[in-house]
Amino acid sequence: MPEDDEVKRSRRLEEVVRDLLAGKRLRIGTADAHDRDAIMAAAALAGQRDPYPRMSPVFRRRLAARLEPAREPGLLSRRSALVAGLAAAAGALAGTGVGRLLQPAPQVVRYGSATVFPAVRWYDAGPLSAFKEGVPVRFQAGSVGTYLVREGQNVNGLSSVCTHLPCELNWTPSAHQLTCPCHNVAFDTEGFQITSPESYPLPPLPRVQVRITPAGRVEVGAT
Amino acid sequence: MEQGGDQGDLIELPAVEVPAAQIALDQLDLVYAFIFARVGNRADAEDLTQQVAMKAIPRLRAEAAAASIRAYLFATARSVLAGFWARKFGLPEEELHEDLALPAAPSPARSEPNAASERVTRLLAALPANYRRVLELRFLRGYSLKEVAAETGNTVGAIKVMQLRALRAAARLESDA
Repeated sequence: MPEDDEVKRSRRLEEVVRDLLAGKRLRIGTADAHDRDAIMAAAALAGQRDPYPRMSPVFRRRLAARLEPAREPGLLSRRSALVAGLAAAAGALAGTGVGRLLQPAPQVVRYGSATVFPAVRWYDAGPLSAFKEGVPVRFQAGSVGTYLVREGQNVNGLSSVCTHLPCELNWTPSAHQLTCPCHNVAFDTEGFQITSPESYPLPPLPRVQVRITPAGRVEVGAT
Repeated sequence: MEQGGDQGDLIELPAVEVPAAQIALDQLDLVYAFIFARVGNRADAEDLTQQVAMKAIPRLRAEAAAASIRAYLFATARSVLAGFWARKFGLPEEELHEDLALPAAPSPARSEPNAASERVTRLLAALPANYRRVLELRFLRGYSLKEVAAETGNTVGAIKVMQLRALRAAARLESDA
């Protein structure tokens, strides 16, 4: 390829790259199409600036609105359930037929399944009497960070790591919630997300197995 | 204190039902991540995700399993992506452009962001050091051309050409993979 041609191509490609790095849409001229492989590689690299991309709340709401008319009246088919999920995620439940079908508890999202950590070894977390009712206690069980929450004579174990980004949750007593320091997300003491209109819907916190020994000791199963 | 696994009574955790709505929502988030990792910008990724949803969802069978929903959404995403690139490059849309949608969707066992990230890491690692340096500085660390030039002791013009060559080399590696 003649040198001046390569210089011209590199200049045109740089315009595409500059747009991509500025977060703009791809604008590709006819001449640029000759370098389509390089442009696609540039787009893939630009996509790595956000390694955990998620749909924005605004986009979710818009998408839910577009999909809503497709719902079959009176049926909660998988298709309408999907629309319902989007609507729920968008915080658009109130006043919609979809909302009436799902009826989640206010503020707390109770859908999604909690995965359960395998219990390979059991770690002693102290006597049950040392745990206050409903107040999470941070406990490191081997490689698994947990919050242990007493409920009567039982103790529930939750992962201490946010299900969005791998950040350690903090217990906020005043709000009675587990708060993520990395972004605006919180979970209740059962591991379900406490939502705001702008928050992303997240899976519940993974469960950690807990047992009480005959001697009244709390043990946490982890790896 | 670490103990054996046979002491005490195991507290059974309550089973949590998995509503289909959440399963499907998770799938669309993954589809969005899959598309974003290929078009590199939010606006195009949102348009294309919406196209996927509008095309695929009305065709889903009510009793479809989560794995089938996922497979169908990703197959639709690949076709929508191929159409997007064909339009951008002025190619006839009615022709199949399999190469424009590659690589294939990730396997269910792997999360899309991790798969895309690993793919790019592998590509960069396979490039000659000078190409890799330019692309890392420019795309992953957000340097301007001028800053890359200053960092590497080259002229802006030279970096611009090196960027073109590096991206072509990355594309060749991708197609050979």
